[in-house]
Amino acid sequence: MFKLDHKSILIGISVVASTALLLTGCLSSPSSTNSSAKAQSNELTGPYAGKLGAIDGGVIYPRENGMYTAYVLNEQSTEGINHGRVPTENELNAWNLDALPDGTGLPEGEGSVEEGDELYEANCASCHGDFGGGGHGYPQLAGGNQDKDENGIVKTLKNQRLEPGMDAPKRTVGTFWPKATTLFTYIRDAMPYAHPKSLSNDENYALTAYILAQNGIKIDGEKMTDEYVLNAEKLAKVVLPNNDGFYPNIDGPEGPANVKAFFADRAKNIGAGVRCMTDCKDPGMEAAGAKEAELVRIDYEMADVVPPYSTVRDLPPESEDVTISKAEKMYNESCKLCHSSDRMGAPAVGDVQAWGSVTKKGFDQVLRNSIDGMGGMPPKGGNDSLTSDEVKSIVEFMIDSSK
Amino acid sequence: MMHLKISKIIKGEDVDKTFKSEEATSVSRRDFFKRTASVSAVAAVSILAPGALFADDINIMEHTKWGTTLGDECNYNPYGLPSKYEHNVVRRTSALMSSAGDMHAAISMSPLHELSGIITPNGLHFTRTHNGVAHVDPNKYRLMIHGLVDKPIVLTLEQLKKYPSESRILFLECPSNGAAEWKGPQFNSLQFVKGMMSCSEWTGVRIKTILDELGLKPNARWMLAEGSDGSEMSRTVPVEKVLDDAMIVWAQNGEALRPEQGYPVRLMLPGWEANLCVKWLKRLKFGEEPWYAKEETSKYTVLTASGRSIQHFYANEVNSIITSPCPEKPWTDLKVGDLVEIEGLAWSGHGTITNVDISFDGGKNWREVNLKGLVLPKAWTRFSYMYKYEGKPLLLQSRAVDDSNNVQPTVNQEKEVVGVEGVYHRNAICTWEVNAKGEVNNVQVRS
Repeated sequence: MFKLDHKSILIGISVVASTALLLTGCLSSPSSTNSSAKAQSNELTGPYAGKLGAIDGGVIYPRENGMYTAYVLNEQSTEGINHGRVPTENELNAWNLDALPDGTGLPEGEGSVEEGDELYEANCASCHGDFGGGGHGYPQLAGGNQDKDENGIVKTLKNQRLEPGMDAPKRTVGTFWPKATTLFTYIRDAMPYAHPKSLSNDENYALTAYILAQNGIKIDGEKMTDEYVLNAEKLAKVVLPNNDGFYPNIDGPEGPANVKAFFADRAKNIGAGVRCMTDCKDPGMEAAGAKEAELVRIDYEMADVVPPYSTVRDLPPESEDVTISKAEKMYNESCKLCHSSDRMGAPAVGDVQAWGSVTKKGFDQVLRNSIDGMGGMPPKGGNDSLTSDEVKSIVEFMIDSSK
Repeated sequence: MMHLKISKIIKGEDVDKTFKSEEATSVSRRDFFKRTASVSAVAAVSILAPGALFADDINIMEHTKWGTTLGDECNYNPYGLPSKYEHNVVRRTSALMSSAGDMHAAISMSPLHELSGIITPNGLHFTRTHNGVAHVDPNKYRLMIHGLVDKPIVLTLEQLKKYPSESRILFLECPSNGAAEWKGPQFNSLQFVKGMMSCSEWTGVRIKTILDELGLKPNARWMLAEGSDGSEMSRTVPVEKVLDDAMIVWAQNGEALRPEQGYPVRLMLPGWEANLCVKWLKRLKFGEEPWYAKEETSKYTVLTASGRSIQHFYANEVNSIITSPCPEKPWTDLKVGDLVEIEGLAWSGHGTITNVDISFDGGKNWREVNLKGLVLPKAWTRFSYMYKYEGKPLLLQSRAVDDSNNVQPTVNQEKEVVGVEGVYHRNAICTWEVNAKGEVNNVQVRS
């Protein structure tokens, strides 16, 4: 049905003629069985109907006949292209540090909760708060209610702030993060914030242990006391409370196919509009049980922006350019044209010899010539608006620059 | 020089001074726009008033300063900069876009209200960093590609650039674009409502071209992309995307990437959230299982009302916004009957924009409008509609459709599926309220 609506617009049937079809489109549920069937086959609707979609549900454009969409291609073969070199074993080992949730790739080393406590106080607490409790504007690492409902979902993650004053869902390691190995690799690679990669693997295990302990995590049923020592083997065994809180399932051989099926049914899974044209009712609004949509205005405007809002076109406040004197600026504007070289017969600024013979006349005479004009040079270099004092400072600059 | 005695002159410079003094005392952005509007309205009335009231414009009647003095030398600025008068056309940020006002892990927004066409100048491209802007020495730069390939390689920057290049005009959008608005409108500004995105021509090599020679093993399902900055930003990418249209890019609008965009090299996954397009790219590793990096678990996952979260949410969905009018560019200088262009941007990470509709009544009735300029996949697309201004209040909306048949949802439609705590991938229809004075405010139609 959607396909039909869409095509009717694309082939240019007048809006009036297609209104009936569009209205039925408005009333149908966006997650019809029809679109679920489409999800199985991952076929697109719309202009590319019948073609298979990309993993994100979008269009895969062909590279054919020397074109890729609107772009012309060089279709010569690149077979045998070979730049760069094979890395050495040591180079590979130096960078190949990532780790998977099953522990593959985790380094050797160990650290206790107690050691982690000291390290945390010294390196982390100023941003992440005491005991990982947040409060300093940076992410809260521990805390939040981990209780689950009958479906195994962390209850407080269902919090929706639909009205002011409602509780926010809390996204800490204990309530939200799916994998504990992420905590270790992230601390190792990106923390401490201002000095990333400055801690040893032992220290990183200790910090990971401390944060897990603050979240009340048990490993193999064992409580993480101060003496608890974490290593790669134990870290791989951690199952965080929200481990199953994410979808689609990306693990195993079917992972990419699961993602593809999920995004093939976008209306159901991530929400989609319908292309109603006249007398439209908002289907989402009806689902929410409301009769009439309301106009919501800004309650508290976020206006504290940097730099402040302005669409004015004026000159910015003059910034003091300390690298250039006022005299040099005036020289650039009024004198440089002739005095930058000797091509016009004027003594070039920087030419020591030329200015040596000029200054022989004495400064007062040079200044008088500059103000009154001399030979090919008009009075004040042709800029009548310069004061005598300004000309004086320019002459001083020119002489100083030619010594 | 001509000397004229003119009794009624529009003192252009005086108007400038008025702006300056008012700007200095301005505390509220809303007041500020009101004042801007009133001054320009005065100017407009003076220009367009009937014959007897015509005043000669001093800007026409007298020689200008720039016409009577020698300009700067041709290469006075070896790397060119915009006119000094454009100093307010800049990225802006807010403490809300950071951790406790720390601007190392923060976002700055593109001034969409000042942009034309579909290319964002490099200096105005939005920025997002997790550990500050890294400044990579191109001589020390190395890229390693390894894992499930027959032949791993390491490349210098110059070696990477030896591969054949392709150029694509693509938008980049932070999946947090508009995230401040899940629960209601907060910023009265186009720049802050939708400015976490930009669109550029990117140049680099298709990863498939390199992989064809390295020999990707058939069991490779995922690729880890890792950055070299302090946050070592890492993401897991499905191999299917890598082989379709993923690129390693080193140029942006004809020049090297800016440091803020990952100089010297970043990953480019056309249409996908900018966070996946890892900057300061250091390493690509192919593997069988996903890595669960920090920025694809604790962040960049969409928590829904069910209490469960969508992970691996890749594409920026079909979206659109009216850029003129907008809160920064109101219609306060229009008279009833004036013909004016309504203009906007539409984009989709799933494909190409096919249609844009606009509504004047908050979504009850819609009419299809024209696209204009280049219409390219996964790129900004301009739309345009000529409107006769009636001086009546409007609720202006735009709604985009793409060629994989995505239709932009209403606030309620999106809320119904995702809730209001998802943070990322918000693409609900936006509403500008145009009041009787022509002022424009950010509002939402929702229940």
